Amino acid sequence: MSRLAARPRLRALLRVVAPLLVLVALAGCAMLPPTPETKQSKEVFVLYAIVLGVGAVVFVGVEGFILYSIVRYRRRDDRLPTQLHGNNTIELVWTAIPTVIVLVLFVLSTLTLNSIEARATSPRVNIEVNAFQWQWNFHYLDTDNDPTNDVSVTGTPAAPPVMVVPVGEPIHLILKSADVIHAFYVPQFLVKRDVIPVSEGRAPNTLEFTVSDVGTYAGQCAEFCGDLHARMTFRVQAMTRADYDAWYAAAASGATPAPSVSPGGTVLKITADHISYDVHALTAPANQAFTIEFTNKEAVSHNVAIYQGSTAIFHGEFITGPGTVTYSIKALPAGTYTFICDVHPIPDMTGTLTIK
Amino acid sequence: MATTALSPATETYRRSWVLDWLTTVDHKKIGILYIVNSFIFFLAAGILALVVRSELAVPGLQFLDERTYNQAFTMHGTIMVFLFIVPILSGFGNYIVPLQIGAPDMAFPRINALSFWFLPLGGILVFSGYLFGGAAAEGWTLYAPLSNGTYSSGVGTDLWLVGLTLIGTASILGAVNFIATIFKMRAPGMTLFRMPILVWTVLTTQVLILLATPVLAAGMIALFIDRNYGGSFFDPNAGGNPVLWQHLFWFFGHPEVYIVILPAMGVVSEILPVFTRRPLFGYRAFVFATIAIGLLSFSVWAHHMFTTGQVFLPFFSFMTALIAVPTGVKMFNWMATLWRGSITLATPMLFALGFLSMFLIGGISGVMLAEPPIDFHLQDTYFVVAHLHYVFFGGSVFGVFAATYYWFPKMFGRRLNERLGKIHFALHFIGFNLAFFPMHFLGIAGMPRRIADYSPDAGWTFWNLVSTVGAFLIAISILPFLVNLVATFINGEKAGDDPWEGNTLEWATSSPPPPYNFDKLPPIRSERPVWDLRHRHDAEHPADEGAVVEGAPS
Repeated sequence: MSRLAARPRLRALLRVVAPLLVLVALAGCAMLPPTPETKQSKEVFVLYAIVLGVGAVVFVGVEGFILYSIVRYRRRDDRLPTQLHGNNTIELVWTAIPTVIVLVLFVLSTLTLNSIEARATSPRVNIEVNAFQWQWNFHYLDTDNDPTNDVSVTGTPAAPPVMVVPVGEPIHLILKSADVIHAFYVPQFLVKRDVIPVSEGRAPNTLEFTVSDVGTYAGQCAEFCGDLHARMTFRVQAMTRADYDAWYAAAASGATPAPSVSPGGTVLKITADHISYDVHALTAPANQAFTIEFTNKEAVSHNVAIYQGSTAIFHGEFITGPGTVTYSIKALPAGTYTFICDVHPIPDMTGTLTIK
Repeated sequence: MATTALSPATETYRRSWVLDWLTTVDHKKIGILYIVNSFIFFLAAGILALVVRSELAVPGLQFLDERTYNQAFTMHGTIMVFLFIVPILSGFGNYIVPLQIGAPDMAFPRINALSFWFLPLGGILVFSGYLFGGAAAEGWTLYAPLSNGTYSSGVGTDLWLVGLTLIGTASILGAVNFIATIFKMRAPGMTLFRMPILVWTVLTTQVLILLATPVLAAGMIALFIDRNYGGSFFDPNAGGNPVLWQHLFWFFGHPEVYIVILPAMGVVSEILPVFTRRPLFGYRAFVFATIAIGLLSFSVWAHHMFTTGQVFLPFFSFMTALIAVPTGVKMFNWMATLWRGSITLATPMLFALGFLSMFLIGGISGVMLAEPPIDFHLQDTYFVVAHLHYVFFGGSVFGVFAATYYWFPKMFGRRLNERLGKIHFALHFIGFNLAFFPMHFLGIAGMPRRIADYSPDAGWTFWNLVSTVGAFLIAISILPFLVNLVATFINGEKAGDDPWEGNTLEWATSSPPPPYNFDKLPPIRSERPVWDLRHRHDAEHPADEGAVVEGAPS
């Protein structure tokens, strides 16, 4: 009696399940990661697809079983179902099923892990990634031991930096943090690595990848690092070796900025500590050049920049403390300006500059 | 002879009900206090979740600045984990466990009251950061060195540490109390392997709390010293190691996941047999699986730290994957209980089935995250946010609501309205999946968690909007529940002692139970003493194997 009664129910069930299956297939597409763009991430993608496939089979099997049971075994009368307490054979079998699945997945994942974590013997491109609240500096290491002529790119939240790399060869990153923990993450490379401040004598984390295609890839900090965590973005621009060499030569020739300091009449003093300026309102004479003596007391990168509305008037050089720098500001017409740290555009590091 | 008679206490003097509730040492009243207190914090943290989701609905910062946003998600996570899920499950444990083992109260009633009253106090301390310059804003994980005095100088973080140390102390006291109660207060005949599954899961949970919480407390005290007394446990500039904080935090934090999921599993394992009218399939296997999960939970903490580059990946990956085995066994046990049962879809059962189907998704995404190469992509993205909500919300919160609908008649003598309950479930289920399933897509596409804003060019806008709509649907689903509570207290259907045809001892006493719980107990000859009692004259279906009922009271 129950079998006959079940048939129309089954058909109704099928009508519900069919669109659900379509939905699951669509969701399956959104469950795939971005197109992998490095040699390593292509391997991760394959592993991911296998694990996702196994997961999908388990998902459809279990959810299907639950739905089927709910429909098929609804209470229809007062008769008690068989009081079944267990069955050792069945229970042994279904202990074995997940064991086998996870063992196979573990072996596959360990093989992939060993492959993607393999290090090149002597990579030609070595970049020191310096993370700080809340931006990045990419410092290209060369062989002459003279840091003053190195190519170095520092970003601000308004102008995130670009890491230029050649395709088809291993890129070696040394991940250093000046303050808190950050994480270097490029979604299309399917990889991230924490950038951890380490005490002296401990090696920082490293990361290697080989970009396969020319293109620009978005990246950002993935470890929560404070107020402007969301604005710690950057890009990786991959180009051919020839283009990279041309870019590097151009960048290296312009890599020696000479800060010119000339003492003026008025001297304004600003001190930064605990990611905050000590003053938030300053006054200077109109139409007269002046200087700002900026002291940074902490090992965090800061500067002073002057804006009128959203127009930049002046960008001071970044300084990582403790230390002092003197900025020369050209004569400004009377008005109200904003002074701000380009690295930390938060209320604590913002002030009003009145020129009158 | 197997009947135990306990004389309920007589009221010697009367006092106002306010004073009565404030000074009570009755495990049932304390349990209800736990549940009500946790539910208030649930609503507060839920509002914070709506704040977070509203800000993320579309790109751009609409009505919060970054600092306020960071405080909102930090407090949301902290309150939900420490002041809602853990204590509300402790509340149900407090109410139900002594009843299920046939005990008159907890072993240490006054310590029980003390550990409850620490909770609102700790919660107020954690929240009071808002009054003193801003609440903690470092995420509920409070990673060093972001949480040290240099980068988080506000007093909100100190209040967070003090409040949570207090709550941790309460948990430890509670754990001692539960363990003593379960080992020493069981009624005659209630052997370990006749204990209801909920009691087993609570016992395992409390052992985890007892072993894990002191480690977190030590870490929090060390961080407090770093912040206020010049310590350098986690300060790399003074030779400390910030990753040490992560080890201490997650050595507690991963068992914590099982602390909140095991009792919910216990609740589901109580409800499924009642609404399928069958015993739980594989009782002993289920108990061993629970113990195995508890043991394994102490060897997997570093899977939260795969991307730190400072942990031995194969070990933690392997141990994490192994947890899928006992969890899989439990899933099979529940499925086999449904198979050829006699299923009634009452509201508690709907939430229990919601638990099964949603927790499954959290389990599958957990196995994905256990593979380090995949974790390198997904760690700290919205995929992890989706995963943890499918475990905490799809698992534990569904379990909490299942428990609420199931035991409400026992606690108050009235049944919650079934129709409102089903509306609640439907909205809750749809809202939950709308809010959290798209987070998988966002995380896979590379959206990091804990960001206040994202670029309109990132391609994340659509699913964020869907997720926000889902979050508001969850909030709306709470309304029929609240209406249901009020309506039931005013004019609810009388429940009687055993409205669901239950299996376990709490259904053998009145609703609500008298002080000290039982006038007399039925004989306990299996894990379903009340079922045995109900079917003792049933020739076709004699009582459970091994359950020889003699001298049963008529």
